[in-house]
Amino acid sequence: MTKTMSPRLRRQENISGYLFLLPSLVFFLGFVIYPMAMCIWTSFTDANMNSNTADRFIGFANYVELWQDPVFLKALVNTIIIVVVSVPVVCIFSLWVASAIYRMKEGPLSFFRVVFYLPVVTGSVAVTVVWKWMYNNYYGIFNYLLKGAGVIDKNINWLGDPKYALACIIIILLTTSVGQPIVLYVSALSNVDQSLVEAAEVDGATNTQVFWRIKWPQIMPTTLYILIITTINSFQCFALIQLLTSGGPNYATETVMYYIYYTAFKLYRFGYGNAMGVILAIFIAALSAVQFRLAKED
Amino acid sequence: MKKILALLLALVMIFALAACGQQAAPAASSGTTEITLWTYPIGNWGDEATVKALTDAFTAETGIAVKVEYLTYADGDDKVNTAITAKQAPDLIMEGPERLVANWGANGYMVDISDMFDATDKAEINQSALAACFTADGKAYEYPVVMTSHCMAINYPAFVEAGADQYIDKDTHTWTTEQFFKAVQALYDKYGDTVGALYCSGQGGDQGTRALVNNLYGGTFTKADHSGYTWDDPLNIKALKALYDQDGIAFDPSINGGEEIANFYNGVFKMAFCWNIAQQLNPNSAGTGAGLTANGDEIVFMAFPSQDGVAKLQGGIWGFGIFDNGDAAKIEAAKTFIKYMCDSAHTVDAVRASNFFAARSAAEGTDLSGIWADNEIMNEYTKLMPMLGDYYQVTTNWAAARTAWWNVLQKVGASDGSEAAISAAVAEFCGQANG
Repeated sequence: MTKTMSPRLRRQENISGYLFLLPSLVFFLGFVIYPMAMCIWTSFTDANMNSNTADRFIGFANYVELWQDPVFLKALVNTIIIVVVSVPVVCIFSLWVASAIYRMKEGPLSFFRVVFYLPVVTGSVAVTVVWKWMYNNYYGIFNYLLKGAGVIDKNINWLGDPKYALACIIIILLTTSVGQPIVLYVSALSNVDQSLVEAAEVDGATNTQVFWRIKWPQIMPTTLYILIITTINSFQCFALIQLLTSGGPNYATETVMYYIYYTAFKLYRFGYGNAMGVILAIFIAALSAVQFRLAKED
Repeated sequence: MKKILALLLALVMIFALAACGQQAAPAASSGTTEITLWTYPIGNWGDEATVKALTDAFTAETGIAVKVEYLTYADGDDKVNTAITAKQAPDLIMEGPERLVANWGANGYMVDISDMFDATDKAEINQSALAACFTADGKAYEYPVVMTSHCMAINYPAFVEAGADQYIDKDTHTWTTEQFFKAVQALYDKYGDTVGALYCSGQGGDQGTRALVNNLYGGTFTKADHSGYTWDDPLNIKALKALYDQDGIAFDPSINGGEEIANFYNGVFKMAFCWNIAQQLNPNSAGTGAGLTANGDEIVFMAFPSQDGVAKLQGGIWGFGIFDNGDAAKIEAAKTFIKYMCDSAHTVDAVRASNFFAARSAAEGTDLSGIWADNEIMNEYTKLMPMLGDYYQVTTNWAAARTAWWNVLQKVGASDGSEAAISAAVAEFCGQANG
């Protein structure tokens, strides 16, 4: 078809194609690429809010300071704990739920999908307010139930005690993170070639063998997608921290994202905050690359 | 034809995008000057109907149109900073000196309005408020309009029931440090639970915990010249230790000032450290009426306890500042607005809208001392106003210091309560605050 086009006509087609592309491209360059470039550039400066002084290029000073900043290191450790705990739990739990419900009839299946997806579509502020009430030190339902059951004799300050605070955050994160993976896994499992499953069963394969040899390879692309999305979301955990603990107590729930926000928008150290952003992006990119590699090998 | 339509569509989309980046028209089309005012929720200065009445009256008298945007404390700072970065800052902003003077003013974004203060103004304006609006080098970035003093509150029936009412002077709203601790002990003995909490999940309401600690034994928070922080004052360490050791007082990193107030209204706490006239006038969410808890218990506002019973209260000062957007006509219009609201016959309305007290005794011949003569609660609250202490929120590095303060409370609360541990925590965070 293209071969029959005259060069003039082809050029016109190309031009109109690029013109259609242009608005999106302008938007992408202006709102994604330019801020990214600015972020990297300012991470090498002492950029701040002060209009009386020009931003100075300071080389890697921000990056050097990062690794000597105990709050950043604590935030990094907390973020890694959140990722290491939440990513496998989200994947395994959602695969388990999806495996249990995907063969159900449409009614019950929809019911479970709605139940697990509801926290995803509910506003994070509303979800957080409810959880904060449940964790409340003085009249929270957890303390009420545990005291009623005789498990504890004194109220626990769930969000105010460094021993429990991070775990409490992770629990909320899990409830708001499993909805989408469950829906994706249900879809992926429904699309597994049933003839292969039936053939394996006829050949005497156990349920475990059917899962690992037939289903798992076919849902691997979905798993990879879920792993990466959950990893990124976990690394970027911010709203929960902002609304529940402000990183406390004693930095027990400080995450890199929250510390970036605090440094840039409370202390106005844009350069230092952007250096943290660059480090976080490198971490996410590296981990995603590893996940891709492992998934490919698998 | 299709190609032409496609080209037109693409161009329309590009122009639509370009239009997003255009600046708003600098003036109203009729030729009148239009200025923008961003206001934080300072009493009814956060209420659209109230502010519209004020600005409409201003426009009718001066011909200057005012476009108002209402900020919240949750995200107001972020909005303003974003606007500053995008060179879209408002012409006028209403807030306190810690933002207008110590932050945006110090960073070079505000217009020096020291020429607006003549000798009469300087004599009429409360001296603490006046000092807070000026920098050390004599520049003024805020014109004060209203002020109040922050205090604490007690659940009076609970005090009576526990026999703790003997420790307060209900008439003067004062008590000593010794009486405070005896009252807390009596309440704890009666109810066996948390009487009051040093909330420290964030900076919300932090003036209350600072004032409590400073007043107990006469410690200070900053140097007198506002050049540094003095939390490591042994008197503050003594206060923190006494609070840590006291039954019924909790260091609670799971709540902030707002949540402490909610717990107090709901009867969970018997005293609140985050209080001022706005809370005292609030009919509360249960609608039981001003000065009452959700159960209808009487709330008595109290000065913070001190050794001699005379507290140095934290002030709240609010006024207007002008962002330097490089437009002389708008700056002049903004000054006209400030003069109208802060120093004219109309100042009474501006003050009443805030539910706070006038920052000056008179405005262009109008006596402001009797503004609240018709309000019993406001009248009673004026007893606290002479206790207004130093407005130190303009001290260098204030943003970092605020964060360090609630972090130090968290650390003290999680410590073993020994003097050494408290001293170490205070020294660590005081060092951070001092940069």
